[in-house]
Amino acid sequence: MKTVIETKNLVRKFGEAQTQVTALSNVSTHIEEGEFTAIIGPSGSGKTTLLQLIGGLDEPDSGDVFLSGTNIANMSGRQLSDFRRDHIGFIFQSYNLIPVLSAQENIEYIMLLQGIDEKDRKTRVQEMLALVGLEGLGDRRPAQLSGGQQQRVAVARAMASKPDIILADEPTANLDSTTGIALLDMMRDLNAQMNMTFVFSTHDQKIMDRADRLIHLEDGIVHLDEIRNS
Amino acid sequence: MLSLKLAWRNLFRNTRRTLLTCMLITSSLVVIILVDGIMLGMIDVMVGGITKTLEGEAQVNQKGFRENFEPELFLNDPDAITAALAADERVSGHAPRVIIGGMIASPYNTTGGLIYGVDATSELGVSRLQEATIEGEYLTGAKREILLGKLMGELLEVSLGDRIIITAAQVDTAEITQELFRVTGFFEFGPEEMDQTLAFINLSAAQPLLGMDGHVHQIAVQFVDPEDAKNKALPTLTRLNQGNVEALGWLDLQPSIGGMIEMSSYASAIVGAVLFILTSLGVINSMFMSIYERIYEFGVAKAIGTTPRQIIALVLFEAFFLALMACAFGVLLGYLASSYFESNGIPMGRMEMSGVLLDGNMHTEVRAYQFVAFPIYVTLLTVAAAIYPAVFASRIVPSQALQRAL
Repeated sequence: MKTVIETKNLVRKFGEAQTQVTALSNVSTHIEEGEFTAIIGPSGSGKTTLLQLIGGLDEPDSGDVFLSGTNIANMSGRQLSDFRRDHIGFIFQSYNLIPVLSAQENIEYIMLLQGIDEKDRKTRVQEMLALVGLEGLGDRRPAQLSGGQQQRVAVARAMASKPDIILADEPTANLDSTTGIALLDMMRDLNAQMNMTFVFSTHDQKIMDRADRLIHLEDGIVHLDEIRNS
Repeated sequence: MLSLKLAWRNLFRNTRRTLLTCMLITSSLVVIILVDGIMLGMIDVMVGGITKTLEGEAQVNQKGFRENFEPELFLNDPDAITAALAADERVSGHAPRVIIGGMIASPYNTTGGLIYGVDATSELGVSRLQEATIEGEYLTGAKREILLGKLMGELLEVSLGDRIIITAAQVDTAEITQELFRVTGFFEFGPEEMDQTLAFINLSAAQPLLGMDGHVHQIAVQFVDPEDAKNKALPTLTRLNQGNVEALGWLDLQPSIGGMIEMSSYASAIVGAVLFILTSLGVINSMFMSIYERIYEFGVAKAIGTTPRQIIALVLFEAFFLALMACAFGVLLGYLASSYFESNGIPMGRMEMSGVLLDGNMHTEVRAYQFVAFPIYVTLLTVAAAIYPAVFASRIVPSQALQRAL
């Protein structure tokens, strides 16, 4: 299998001198194409920091991040911006969608950034909406959608750019458990159907039960890397 | 298109703030339009006061005459000049004048003054002497007619029909000469100095009195298009500038007024600059508030690949749309306000500026450029004011902005 993500000795510290906190300490791991991986651990264990470094949203103090073979740790801001746009899909916990754009416009936005022509954008928006089960709701703005529907739009937006990997940090944190599980099941189905690589963080046991692989983080160190039902 | 849609819709996320900022920009535009209209109105009154009252839009004199009104500095061949002016279709009127200082005495008092010998008919086309005659009759051409300034009349304690003796030196012999006149009217131009020191008699009476038959000191000119008077290269004037003769427009004749006009355009620019600084601060503040409210959103936008340049463009488009809305209201309100004051005037009271009387209402001037150029300036400046917030937004670090979200 092709390695999508590889981290080597990632170190990330916050603060200075006496107040300095090591968020990640020599984290080395790799994620293969088509994996459905959960990064788990208690609050402050470094889950978000690891996802941010993998996603090129933050820079490590030392170490390397290879995404589809490209070391993103040394990229300039502009290169990173383009790389994120074309290779990484993001799903955030909240504030995910642009409130003044409709669901379909939110999905279309990332393709607009990619320079895809209007006809293809419109076609793919409809495909994505169908994929996440939101046909007919494309005209609604985020405020007119439930939390679960908003996260589905976020998943559709993340997939619309045809990324190598989708990163999601606690995507179900603001959802009730039933909606959260339904969202995860949908992501799981997309992973199975389209061989899309998902990496998400969670501390919800029911959610992590659905992952193929669990990377346990504790105090910034990979405590356990557990392959489950692959 | 989606970016423009996004920018437009973002404006209405906080309608109250957008409207307040819009009102700030609108008010600035309205004030700039009004200030410019008032300045133009004031300039118009001042220029009109100079050129329409007595001086004319241009004058032909012998070089040096205007400095001290030396009587011997007269035009040698006024008929040729008059013929040239009469043949020029740009010229709407021209009037020959003899101007000399002398003593003006009544049975009760004596004063010094400047005596104008004018052709009653020609003068109608260049000055408002007839219109300013507030008592008695305008000149008819009869030999002993004299028009006095209202204040001079009071000083001399004369009324209509009273005798006036003018004493002056003859130009050709320098001998003192006297002539009797009868007060036929009183005029009031407005400026105190004019009403106190000027007297008008007929040219036909002035020339023999001063021993300058066939000669005049000055020919005042009015143009069909008043703008022609500002043109220093106008053939009408340049053709006459030969030898000792100089033909000058009012800007050269009254450089102090030209200076004042220049100063008033600076005043408009200063008012505009102060307003712009205040408006800019409002726009910057509003844009920053808007950005801080959406900091997570910018974090998400940057995370998914929006470039700093695209963020800058988004914020600038928002400022552009804000300015467009504000200018639409500003143009409408500015037009209504300026048109109202153009018709009804702004009460200014009575004051004299640079020898020009500003009396009563100041009427603003409505010009097309005020509703085209000013809104363009305001739009550009609003967008310029948004550059700083836009650059700030473009530098938002996604990982920091998303601290609570991701």
